[in-house]
Amino acid sequence: MDSILSFQLINSLNPILAAGGIAADKLPFGGWLTNSIFVAIAVLLLVLLFTRMATKRMQLIPDKKQNFVEFVVEFLYDQVEQIVGKHVAPKAFPLLATIFVFILISNYSGLIPGVGTVGFGETSAPLTLETVSHGDEGSHGGHGEAEAAGGAHSEHKPFTPLLRPPTADLNLTMGLALVFMVVWAWITIREMGVIGFLEHTFAPKGGLTGFMKWALVPIFLFVGVIEIISIIFRPISLSFRLLGNIYAGETLLHTMGTLGEKFGLTGIWAFLMSVALPIPFYFMEILVGLLQAVVFTLLCAVYIQLSTSHDEEAH
Amino acid sequence: MAGLFDTFGFYWGPFIAQVIIILIVYAILSKFAFGPVMEMLEARRKRIEEGESNLKKIESELAKAEENVQAMLDEANKDAERLISEARESADAVKSQKAQQAISEAQGIIEKAKDQTKLDHERVMNELKRDFGRLVIDATSKVSGKVLDDSDQKRINEETAGQVAL
Repeated sequence: MDSILSFQLINSLNPILAAGGIAADKLPFGGWLTNSIFVAIAVLLLVLLFTRMATKRMQLIPDKKQNFVEFVVEFLYDQVEQIVGKHVAPKAFPLLATIFVFILISNYSGLIPGVGTVGFGETSAPLTLETVSHGDEGSHGGHGEAEAAGGAHSEHKPFTPLLRPPTADLNLTMGLALVFMVVWAWITIREMGVIGFLEHTFAPKGGLTGFMKWALVPIFLFVGVIEIISIIFRPISLSFRLLGNIYAGETLLHTMGTLGEKFGLTGIWAFLMSVALPIPFYFMEILVGLLQAVVFTLLCAVYIQLSTSHDEEAH
Repeated sequence: MAGLFDTFGFYWGPFIAQVIIILIVYAILSKFAFGPVMEMLEARRKRIEEGESNLKKIESELAKAEENVQAMLDEANKDAERLISEARESADAVKSQKAQQAISEAQGIIEKAKDQTKLDHERVMNELKRDFGRLVIDATSKVSGKVLDDSDQKRINEETAGQVAL
């Protein structure tokens, strides 16, 4: 590959979106490997490395790393237990904590300098891996997969970021949501049983008896159908909410980084603007990254609690 | 819906890869982080519970031991007081007995002294009578110029002794 690492000023007038578009791009050397999968694997290795270091030699009197991990785990467990209850917490905690940790690290990986800006192809940021060929402007993002994977010798090389936060990729957020839904279904069936779940969803609630109970059956059936539809749409809402927020954050940072160019600044002024303008938004993205991890996890915990909580008449 | 997913870059290949990564992270965290940490927290909680339980047991045993010690001290005080009292009584008895013994011994000594004095007195008196009788016999024989026979000497001695005894 005839790529070189070089500093280059932005020459595109188009991008007000994160480099690479909303779809994750395939890396030129990876075949099926997209840039978000690449970072997800890095996150996986980071998690593996840290957990092994922290828990390899666990002792009753912990060292600093073990103490930190224990603090995090205990804090998360207490939060999960408060929502789903003592009985369900041991079953739900590993998945919910995994979701939280994975989303948090993935979100913050987008804040590392170079993520979204270092890449292959046509420049769209101050620092890129530039290919020898320069084509026409304005073909960033979108479906860069086919172009990036197949067009090694084509004249136009759309910019492909080497690194992309995994949570800015629908494939990962949808994967998280679906894995959660499978575990949710398993916990719900184990706790309530199939009949119990159907009763919980469709049967009249509130301890109704006699005529009122039967009169309200159609309404509760209708509410049950709505509930089932909402359950079906949960993975959609979970995954798109996370994707939207993180991708919007990436776009915001990228836009701020290129705003000087948009205003016609050049040279050192454009460079200074690209450094200074994103800084406040980095702090906001730190907050958003944490908030989105909390929201996703919290909603998952609430979904589990809703489907496993017993009605008052069952007690 | 398929168009929507396509627009947002959803593809089965990357999706499955991401699901596999998520499951691996899930497995890693469950096996190497949450499992051991929860076990450790549980072990620590049990140890603290045991410690607290032992502490309560120790406190209870300490209270019992203090009660026992107090009871033993009370008992020892009572015994000591009893022993002191007994010793005092015994000392008084011995003192009294010794005093009685001393008095009786002193009386014995006095009696013996009296007897001895009496005997000495009698002996001196007998010697005096004998000497006096002999002096009277000598004086009588010298005055009378007569040699006194045994019957005379005996009669003079008896008379002299009778007069001395007066």
